[in-house]
Amino acid sequence: MEFMTMPTQQAEKPIQARFSPYDMNGGTVLAIAGEDFAVIASDTRLSQGFSIHSRDTPKTTQMTGNTVIGSCGFHGDVLTLTKVIQTRLKMFSHIHNKDMDTTSIAAMLSTILYYRRFFPYYVYNIVAGLDSEGKGCVFSFDPVGSYERESYRAGGSASSMLQPLLDNQIGMKNQEGAKQVPLSKAKAVALVKDVFTSAAERDIYTGDGIVIHVVSKDGITTETFPLRRD
Amino acid sequence: MFLTRSEYDRGVNTFSPEGRLFQVEYAIEAIKLGSTAIGIQTNEGVVLAVEKRVTSPLIEPTSIEKIMEVDKHIGCAMSGLIADSRTLIDRARVESQNHWFTYNEKMSVESVTQAVSNLALAFGDDDPDPAQCRPFGVALLLAGVDENGPRLFHMDPSGTFIQYDAKAIGSGSEGAQQALQETFHKSITLKEACKAALTILKQVMEEKLSATNVEMATVTPGNLFRMFTKEELEAVIKDL
Repeated sequence: MEFMTMPTQQAEKPIQARFSPYDMNGGTVLAIAGEDFAVIASDTRLSQGFSIHSRDTPKTTQMTGNTVIGSCGFHGDVLTLTKVIQTRLKMFSHIHNKDMDTTSIAAMLSTILYYRRFFPYYVYNIVAGLDSEGKGCVFSFDPVGSYERESYRAGGSASSMLQPLLDNQIGMKNQEGAKQVPLSKAKAVALVKDVFTSAAERDIYTGDGIVIHVVSKDGITTETFPLRRD
Repeated sequence: MFLTRSEYDRGVNTFSPEGRLFQVEYAIEAIKLGSTAIGIQTNEGVVLAVEKRVTSPLIEPTSIEKIMEVDKHIGCAMSGLIADSRTLIDRARVESQNHWFTYNEKMSVESVTQAVSNLALAFGDDDPDPAQCRPFGVALLLAGVDENGPRLFHMDPSGTFIQYDAKAIGSGSEGAQQALQETFHKSITLKEACKAALTILKQVMEEKLSATNVEMATVTPGNLFRMFTKEELEAVIKDL
């Protein structure tokens, strides 16, 4: 009788099915608070790696008559998050017979983000608008809801290029004998165009164009400005 | 009268052919057995005053609580089955804190009242998970200050709530409401309102009014909800 060699039992390699729920779609947002106005802007490029998905996708969303939110990061999460905020705002105005204040929207956004503490929305948010006293206000967030009221903030892919420029030009940081002067609307808008143009030169995820919203007591005005498209 | 009702006043959520919910109407009647409570809204703030029925000298009067704090800026006076009010006050407090937690702002008096009134009709025979099996036997006067200024709301067991300049509930409410209508004017000061509230309570109370058998509280933009101490009450009572 022939001795059959039994096949040695092979330990099957475990198949690893990796779930990668996130992506990064670039984009930059920037907001500046003035005395009685706030400016918030974002570029309009939507990209993934070396490909551009869209040249006309602003990352800002108008939420109420005096609040705009800028969100960038993973675009899928951006879409869901802004939808969630909009439904919450609608419910709030039905229940309480008033629009939610900018400061309340910021507080609510913080709780919405923190409720996803262990599977976060991959979104960097900046809220800009007017507070209950009519003063310009900007709130910046991390993806899990830590937030802070600030006078200016850049977020997203080119934030590390924009923020030092703003520190210097608005915060008057690292200058000797520089005086803090109240920022005018026109100066703020001009500055936004300048810093975005610079960022578009270096950051491949920022470009194509910018959308600038100016929030004041008279409402929100929106303008666009082209950036390099390569 | 009883014959016509007997068919329809059993089920708590069955309309009579005339379109009435008898159990809810009876609950509203239960308020008229309760001690009198008065609320007056002024431009400076709102005052709440209630009578405490100290039926025995052995009762510890301070253990009878008929004005409660809902939040720093909202107070509530009640009349009727006080035990029922615990559920309502608890809801008001939870809603108010929740609002602050989420929106970082004070909840408006109207919104708190609305939230509480949602509980009022959460009863029923068929409800799979009813909050209670009968209507609440208590009426509330919710007083507070918010972005609209001082506000006074009255809520009854049917869950209906209405804003008032001045409102009385409880056993002496008919007489007290009449007196309020004569006393109240748009430019009444808070001090005058406090005095008027106690004067009217004095008129409708069976016992002699003293600092131990009434409670009074004010809600103002400056001091928010504040109960009167015994000494402060005595000072007001002295010059009635």
